[in-house]
Amino acid sequence: MKMEIMLFWTAVGLYGISTFSYIFGLISKNEKLFSIGLYTAFIGLVPHTIVIALRWSATGISPFISISESITLGIFMTVLIFLIFQFSTKKVQPLGVLVMPIAFVLLGWAGTLMKEVATSLVPALQSAWIWVHIIGASTGFASVLIAAGLGLMLLIKERKSGGIYDKLPEPQVLDNLSYRYVAAGFIMYGLMIVSGAFWANQVKGSYWNWDPVEVWSLISWLIYGIYLHLRITFGWRGRRLAWYALIAVVVMIVSYWGIPFGVETFHQGFRIEH
Amino acid sequence: MNLFSVIRKIYKFLSSVKLAMVLLITILACCVAGVTIWRGAEAGRLIFGTLWFNGILSLLVVNVAFCFFPRMWGRRLTLVSFGMILFHLSFVAILGGIVFNSLFYFRGTIRISEGETLSSGDPESYDFIDHGHYFSFSKLKGETTFVRMHPHYKVDGEDKRAAYEIEVGEGFGKKHKVIYITNSLDYNGFRYLNDREGYSILVILYDKLGKELYGVYAPLQSLKRQNGSYLYTTGTRFTPESYPFPQPPAKPIFNLQVTYLPSKLNERDGEAFFQIFPLNEGDKREEVKVIAEGKAAVGDEFDAGEYRISVREVSYWVAMNVRYEPGKPIVLTSLWIGFGGIVITFIGRIRRVKK
Ligand code: HEM
Repeated sequence: MKMEIMLFWTAVGLYGISTFSYIFGLISKNEKLFSIGLYTAFIGLVPHTIVIALRWSATGISPFISISESITLGIFMTVLIFLIFQFSTKKVQPLGVLVMPIAFVLLGWAGTLMKEVATSLVPALQSAWIWVHIIGASTGFASVLIAAGLGLMLLIKERKSGGIYDKLPEPQVLDNLSYRYVAAGFIMYGLMIVSGAFWANQVKGSYWNWDPVEVWSLISWLIYGIYLHLRITFGWRGRRLAWYALIAVVVMIVSYWGIPFGVETFHQGFRIEH
Repeated sequence: MNLFSVIRKIYKFLSSVKLAMVLLITILACCVAGVTIWRGAEAGRLIFGTLWFNGILSLLVVNVAFCFFPRMWGRRLTLVSFGMILFHLSFVAILGGIVFNSLFYFRGTIRISEGETLSSGDPESYDFIDHGHYFSFSKLKGETTFVRMHPHYKVDGEDKRAAYEIEVGEGFGKKHKVIYITNSLDYNGFRYLNDREGYSILVILYDKLGKELYGVYAPLQSLKRQNGSYLYTTGTRFTPESYPFPQPPAKPIFNLQVTYLPSKLNERDGEAFFQIFPLNEGDKREEVKVIAEGKAAVGDEFDAGEYRISVREVSYWVAMNVRYEPGKPIVLTSLWIGFGGIVITFIGRIRRVKK
């Protein structure tokens, strides 16, 4: 087997172990399992990073174009930000219980869709905007997924007490943290949309065409815009917003990778008629 | 009911935060419908391009103006409120830019062959034209020349595939540039962007003895075949077809279909495949039998008995989008201002919590 494929599935496997450690940790209320989950996620990030580096160095072309590459980067950012959060605050131990299963499943799915590294980049994508766009999209996704995870922690904290639950921060703290990640995600999505608009303007001469990918990203952005208004203008807090964040992240996954990549759009490059 | 109370009612309606939420959710629902139930062009026709949908978008902006700004009035200026003002202001500015643009814009597709020069301001030069009510053609000055096609044009080692060398403008102010998909030409606010390109062949007719009788440029269609490769042939956008040759007003002798097979080695080289049909009575091509058919390399003659035919030269035609959108800078700048506003608000909130 090729080195790249082997490393890829090693990363998926490690995220799988991490996933089950977190889930069983929560069921059995065993903190040690959370630590195992955290460290396997950390170890898993190593082959994950190498895969991206290998693909990148193979042709020198940014390996973030096809759907599997896009998911691979999104999950990379997710796990990276998740780990930074965990190692820097050490406050919300079971957070991986939402983050890691999604990382595991999505990366596994990306593995089944994986293709050879592209040998050339279509001219439409040879633009500096693509970098801003990709970074906005992937960190935006990472942020809102972590926000949803924090929402889940809040829901658990409100219902249960004793043992590991007592170690979770107070609901208000979780609520506030979750809001911050949503706000950060909202900003990154904003960056994605604005850079996308500039990119489209550069290539097609119009910044917005209601093309399906554009509409899907507007949907994600509006959903989080509504979240912010519910919170700030209408004063929603706690449980209701936690549920909102959880449902929103499902929509996010569908709107990112579920549908738009299947349809023929601007993002797949341009037809050149000769 | 007097006028005053009507105005008050309208003001109350427009300035309610609830209306904002209803509108945001409605827009969200329309977007979801426009990428699931209906898609692509249909969604454009049924939703995104309609008056009512754009009306809702505009109402949202009016609502933002009425709802947000009075609420912010008199509030202490902090990072948070400053950022929010920027954000919501950019929202209003974007709509302003769009409305302004819709009055003055011009969008056209100019189709032009290598070496050809067309008058930029003549509507006849365009395949397609769309413009705002107050657009004036006198803005389109000078001429547009398609100097040469550069296939597989490289910039810093990156293949741009199709680059068009063009010259636009009038007199000494002419601009000359090689444009490709991420690099357009800007002249007097008019942008020239790559769109489509195809081959154009110079077909020459000779008599039996080799005397030249007639010649014409024939643009070829690029038709995608099932295996993904392209067929370059005379015809319509959808099917290969023959056409009367010589072309009217000259007197046609037969119907000709030419297919060009590009050489893999040399640009503008290759072979041509000719099929000659009797002049059409009716359009049922299947029943028409071929009088003669055969191949010849570019530059060589194909002997069709009474006549000889050759493709003397292969060149290109291109279609470029020409756009004039004076409102766009407002919209694009506002996007960044709005984005900056969100970031400032967020920073402000974090600092507030820390204190
Ligand atoms: C009709 C449309 C809108 C109205 C009437 C409106 C109104 C408001 C108001 C009144 C506030 C300030 C809340 C307060 O402190 O009292 C606010 C904040 C905000 N609005 Fe809007 N808004 C609208 C549209 C939008 C949209 C479409 C978005 C983005 C999707 C948006 C994003 C924000 C953000 C990011 C804040 C600041 C949130 C924060 O402080 O973190 N607004 N809006």
